[in-house]
Amino acid sequence: MAEASGHAVEEGTESRRSFLKILTVSAGAVGLGAVVWPLISALTPDADSLAAAHLIVNVSGIAENTAISVTWGGLPIYIRKLTAQEIADAQAVIPSTLPDPADFTDRVKPGYESFVVVVGLNTGAPCELEGNAPSDTRGPFGGWLCPCDGSVYDPLGRVRGGPARKNLAIPRFVFLNDAQIQFG
Amino acid sequence: MSTDAKTCPVEAQLPCLAHLRAEYCAPSLAPGAPYLAALPALITGALLFLAASGLVLAVHYDPAHGFASLQYIAHNVNNGWLVRGFHATGTTLVFGAVFLLLFRSLYTRAYRAPGQLAWLISVKLFAFLLLTAYLGYVLTDGAVSYWSLTDAANAAQSLTGIPGLLGTWFFGGPAGPGTLARLLVFHAILALGAVALVFALRSAAKVLAPKATGADAVSFHPAYTAQYFAAFAVFALIFALLVFFAPHFGQNPLNASAANPLIIPAALTPPWYLRPVSAIASVFPGAYGGIFGVIAALAVLAATPWLDRSGPHGRPGTLYRILTVLLALDVLGLGLAYSCPSALSSILVTVTTVWYFLHFLVLTPLVTSLEAE
Repeated sequence: MAEASGHAVEEGTESRRSFLKILTVSAGAVGLGAVVWPLISALTPDADSLAAAHLIVNVSGIAENTAISVTWGGLPIYIRKLTAQEIADAQAVIPSTLPDPADFTDRVKPGYESFVVVVGLNTGAPCELEGNAPSDTRGPFGGWLCPCDGSVYDPLGRVRGGPARKNLAIPRFVFLNDAQIQFG
Repeated sequence: MSTDAKTCPVEAQLPCLAHLRAEYCAPSLAPGAPYLAALPALITGALLFLAASGLVLAVHYDPAHGFASLQYIAHNVNNGWLVRGFHATGTTLVFGAVFLLLFRSLYTRAYRAPGQLAWLISVKLFAFLLLTAYLGYVLTDGAVSYWSLTDAANAAQSLTGIPGLLGTWFFGGPAGPGTLARLLVFHAILALGAVALVFALRSAAKVLAPKATGADAVSFHPAYTAQYFAAFAVFALIFALLVFFAPHFGQNPLNASAANPLIIPAALTPPWYLRPVSAIASVFPGAYGGIFGVIAALAVLAATPWLDRSGPHGRPGTLYRILTVLLALDVLGLGLAYSCPSALSSILVTVTTVWYFLHFLVLTPLVTSLEAE
């Protein structure tokens, strides 16, 4: 076909063919992408599990010297509001004297120093800690006490005595504003 | 497109690339093959697409709560409704292509030597797909498929000897809470088997494809890739129309409600692609009747190359072609008559079943030997 035609026509055929080729391959690629996209997005977390994974908690109602317990990711999360006295006491402790050295600033978010957010599970024997309400037994440091192995924590969640050797874990969270924190 | 076999260093170290180039870029094929020759390739693509959408569904599917988990997929999973539509409509398209492939092979007598093996693989693929599709239908755990499974598992319990042992092994006893979990695994394994079979079919079909040498010969790429692409575009267009405008095409609407162990639906009608074979199975009485009907229907189909008495060089006759079209209408009639149960439809199912077997066992040998003369 091309041999019978002149050189100019052959050139035109070639460029038309490559244009059609580009057009066809592009349309095919777009179509393939449109089909593959739902399959990929179906494997991303749905709205329900995203909402559960990014739990928002209102902390404005927490009284000083009290903690609330919320469940996030299946874990008991304790959110405690410190008193001015507790903040001063905690800042006075020299970290290197502790079993698991941690500074005051390591345990709280800057700007929101009065809130301590920890996973309320003892790091020794896995038990839920006691001491959220002021009336609970809190141990000698006024923080939390493990009812199972007797480990003692201070109000920042730092281990101060007992079989446990690690401070309480701090979950992933951010302060959205003065009243709300969001996990995840 | 360059077709010279210049070897590059990568091909020397990775021989499969050189094989691919020899397979698809060397000019060895005759031009002008029909568009329907792309059917095995389209089936391959559709099966791989079913595998992809099936994997996504399997991630969210819970065999202990089959129906509820499909509701969850449709309502909660991102684009889950679409993925489920992909899987259901993809099945419709695979069966459409397989029915067309079988009809085309019968009509053009492609099953004759040297095509018997390709024909046998096609029928085997069809059988695998029927079983896979039945299991997929059962996994929907709707009001109809639940009872279909219960009946099938109970029937398997009533068999004795080796069939009974096999049936009990397959279903794990009467249908119970764990049955869907095992059927999910069988569904996936059989689907893999179907993918393997369609690759075998394409390999067998490649040998049968008309060859050419010299100036006439074309290479698969780009001569046939362009043609396959056009066939694929039509296939994809039909798919898009069905998935967006008729996502429940050919399904029993009663199956859209949850299974109830206390209510047997009026008709246990499966999806459209299972209806012809279910209709044949329903005609035969007794404990072994259903399974006998399915096996007999597939066996006479597989035996066509030997039932055709015209020999390898006989010309395809007009009467045989008319009979093949009648057979297609007969299979269509089987499916339609089975869709709405009534006294008339059970007569129609019997008549069409008799015609189906008559076509293969009597008319095919008779007409082909007559026309061969």
